[in-house]
Amino acid sequence: MRELGRIVRNRRFALALALILLANGVLFVREQRDRDYGLDCELPAGSYVVFDGSFEPARETVDPAAAYGRYLDWLDRLGDMPLAEAAALLAEEREALTRKIGGDAATDSEKLDYAAVGRLLDQTDYLTGYGGWLDGVRKSRDDLLTFSIFNDPDSFSGRNIIKTAEEFEKLEGVELTLGADGAVEAVLSFRLTDYFLAAVLLLFALSFLEERKAGLWSVVHAAPDGRLQLAVRRAAILLGVSAGGVALLYGTDLAIGFSLYGGADGLGRAAQSAEVLGRLPELWTVGGFLGRFLLLRTAAAFFTGLLLWLLLAAVDNVKYAVVAAAGVLAAEYGLYTFLPVQSSFNVLKYFNLFTYVSLSDLYTNYLNIDLLGFPLGIRSISQLALIPLCLASAAACIFVQCRKKPAAGRDRLGRAAYRINRAADRLLRRLRLLGMELYKTLWLQKGVVIAALLVYTAAGLTYVVKIPVASAEEQTAREYTARFAGEITDGTFARMDGEEAELDAKTAAYEEAKAAYERGETDLSSLDGCAREASAAETRRKGLAAVRARAEELRTLGAEKSFTPWLIDEIPFESVYGSQAEGNQLRAAAAAVLALTLLLAGGAAYERQSGVVLLLRSTARGRGALLLRKLLLAAAMAGLVWAVVYGMELYALLTGFSVSAWRAPVQNLSMLAGFPAPCSVAGWLAALYAGRWFALFCGGVIVLAVSGLARRVEAACIACGGVMLLPSLLYAYLGVEAFRPLACIRPVAAMPLLNAAGGGAAEWLLCCAALAGLAVCAACFLNT
Amino acid sequence: MRLELRGLTKTYGGLTALDHVNITFTEGIYGILGANGAGKSTMMNLLTDNIPRTEGQILFDGVDILRWGKDFRRVLGYMPQQQGYYEHMTAQTFLYYMADLKAIPKKRAERQIDRLLAVTGLSDVRHKKLGGYSGGMKQRVLLAQALLGNPRVVILDEPTAGLDPRERIRIRNFISSLSRGRIILLATHIVSDIESISDRILMMKKGRVVGVDTPANLIDSVADKVKELPCGSVGLERMQRWYRVGNVFQRNGETWVRVVGDQLPVEGEYVPDHLTLEDVYLYYLGE
Repeated sequence: MRELGRIVRNRRFALALALILLANGVLFVREQRDRDYGLDCELPAGSYVVFDGSFEPARETVDPAAAYGRYLDWLDRLGDMPLAEAAALLAEEREALTRKIGGDAATDSEKLDYAAVGRLLDQTDYLTGYGGWLDGVRKSRDDLLTFSIFNDPDSFSGRNIIKTAEEFEKLEGVELTLGADGAVEAVLSFRLTDYFLAAVLLLFALSFLEERKAGLWSVVHAAPDGRLQLAVRRAAILLGVSAGGVALLYGTDLAIGFSLYGGADGLGRAAQSAEVLGRLPELWTVGGFLGRFLLLRTAAAFFTGLLLWLLLAAVDNVKYAVVAAAGVLAAEYGLYTFLPVQSSFNVLKYFNLFTYVSLSDLYTNYLNIDLLGFPLGIRSISQLALIPLCLASAAACIFVQCRKKPAAGRDRLGRAAYRINRAADRLLRRLRLLGMELYKTLWLQKGVVIAALLVYTAAGLTYVVKIPVASAEEQTAREYTARFAGEITDGTFARMDGEEAELDAKTAAYEEAKAAYERGETDLSSLDGCAREASAAETRRKGLAAVRARAEELRTLGAEKSFTPWLIDEIPFESVYGSQAEGNQLRAAAAAVLALTLLLAGGAAYERQSGVVLLLRSTARGRGALLLRKLLLAAAMAGLVWAVVYGMELYALLTGFSVSAWRAPVQNLSMLAGFPAPCSVAGWLAALYAGRWFALFCGGVIVLAVSGLARRVEAACIACGGVMLLPSLLYAYLGVEAFRPLACIRPVAAMPLLNAAGGGAAEWLLCCAALAGLAVCAACFLNT
Repeated sequence: MRLELRGLTKTYGGLTALDHVNITFTEGIYGILGANGAGKSTMMNLLTDNIPRTEGQILFDGVDILRWGKDFRRVLGYMPQQQGYYEHMTAQTFLYYMADLKAIPKKRAERQIDRLLAVTGLSDVRHKKLGGYSGGMKQRVLLAQALLGNPRVVILDEPTAGLDPRERIRIRNFISSLSRGRIILLATHIVSDIESISDRILMMKKGRVVGVDTPANLIDSVADKVKELPCGSVGLERMQRWYRVGNVFQRNGETWVRVVGDQLPVEGEYVPDHLTLEDVYLYYLGE
């Protein structure tokens, strides 16, 4: 208990555990929302939207939570109804609902029913078809062994077919019933919990190396209970942590799952009733499966923990141990993830640590691998091997703990590291102060990891929104705008007149055709063709009229405000910078601010933490010159973050749309009609992106100032996060308006440049805070 | 070259850490002795302008070091008492970084770093990260950085702490060889280091300088202030209560004590030929 107490009393450790538990719960809930609680919430196509200049059907969606509630109502309504009867009823209902939605006659309640019934129909399809699937497995065996070209029962294929059929034979006559399987499906498909559990085990395994890091290894090893007893206790701790971790993490998932997906009533049903367990050749109930799964999950976690401990304990130097363990884990993960199932080396894929990390794969897939021509069931082998593997790993861990001498090992990795350091030193000696600051930030403080995560995050951000089109007229207006785009001159109106004349001609042709039809000079199909063209021309005329009105409005405005009127296709700008894209802008800014904060939070605190402040300040360039380099570092980091996040945004604009109106005055864009300064679109974009960089730089200065007041890097990260991100999160995600002026993601997104009504209080506050930050930095660096 | 402290005072709230110190340093090695809290580190931090002074002046060649600004720091080499270093940097990279901060041209820095690493015995481990160094090795790296740029004023706070005797002798001799044309201020608790290399010793007590002289003169000054006498275990306790007791040792099966002070016991014998700086320390700075 004392050993466990030592580990969990470490505040950082306890915080990490708490964060893992919290993140697991939050992300699990989010995942369920993202997957719409397993429902297809899209309704059949209705109107149209424009995206990237192309058309695609608008997919109206229903509220997933409400739809799931309706799903549960339907389940109650179906009750114990026989499956075939339920399937017929659902199919009939679905058809009726589809008709109603297609005719725009469906109520909101019916739309919810549509999504709910759709899911139930999928379930009944699976359940009614399961018997057929089992027959298919049996028939495959019979067929293949009688007349197939693969009928050699001594080949792997033949043996595999026989084994598969034999295993599934026991499911003959299994009674499958309809029920709410969401919780089980959610738990088995939410992979993050597997990795969170592995992270918890890794934390505990790392905590076993504390004595090495603290230089107490010799003391512990020399103590009477410092070898076998300690090793056994640690193995017991890992077992306890495995059980506790499984109970807490998977227990949380199950509890949330049951509460979201309608309780735990269906646990007595056959496991195969849940589609996700359809390939499990065992006659278990859902509850029985969950019990076994959690038990095996605990054993697998124990084995994972032991293996991690063994990997880490095998190398003397803690840092190299971590590197070596990371290398082994990366190799294992690579094999598990990227090795094809058909590969002749697939033994490495399945006899792999990650098979035990992602345990649910064993139950959701059925697979036999070829071992010397014999099919081996991955699930049964993995299950059987678990206990011997646990015992062997525990023995190995205890052996290493007892036999490894603190002062005996030859540090081979240390020698390799020395060679690497020597090569790195050759490069580093060329660096000047700024280079060293970059090195300290990006390498010593692991800024490269943050930069890599930023690239990953930025690549996943959405920069373009779909701008819906309400009517065919509006769509036509957009087409005309694109066609007549350019400076508005008399020629523009002349071209519009020409277009209008063409449309008039079509209308006139219809009138003529109508008259001719009445006179009996033409048939109905010709009249119908003309009518269609005239109808289309009418729609186009309305669109053209809207464009003409806009052109005239711009000409008047241009005369009033002294700018050259241009007709501009505004879709690209509205999609990327418009008010509908505000959410995207704020998210991108939040990612940028978070990355910048993490990159620079250690800027000054790292020196305090390292205890070199007095030393640096006693040197000729340790004050003003160093401060200047820190500011340049802030500028460079702001530039890096800016280039990644806003580079991708600009790339999305330039590759997604063809923007040609670079020279046009920016006031020609509706969203910037009130822009106060004379400026071209290109100039505005340059100002926008320069403004964003400047706002990031100001943020960087504030981060440096806060960092200068902190004694440790972790404290600096928390304090800087509090200053830079908390008001933004409270404003943007919780809607607390009072924090709007303090939300620095607004100036970073350059909202006033995007939207004249965006206000500038936050920008001024950011500038003032940056100046104050500069003063704090000066106080930290220049004064004694 | 002169470094003058005129009426130098530093207070922390109500506590006076340095009290109107007046002293002039010229070329040579100054050993600074004093108990913990005597004001040694405060004086060094004031000399490096790492803390603001409350009162007084620090003049370098007649001009206040605040006016000299970075030009003073250009001629300054400082090794703080607290071991501060970037644990993920190698010794070589750390020294190059410090050389850059000291505005030493690259070529010169390269030569000096090679030489200092050799002198401090770190050439073979120059590419090892500082976090993996022993305490003594870290101490030597910090000493090397202090000596980068051939500073004219060198301030060393406990430079030989944590070094083994052989290393200590080597470093001590190296510091001794540097004294020509430099002011070296050396604070240490290892009095034998000061004794062997200091030109003058400065003794501090409660923020004041209580004596400055050569080691020989200081030792002479306590010639009739030290006695050795036998005593039992009960007597030792009484001695410690009444006198400043130095070494306690065994001689011919008896426990002997060495006492220092103006008031000495009648019994016992003076030891004029075996006086050390420890006796001086006890006499001037002992409670």
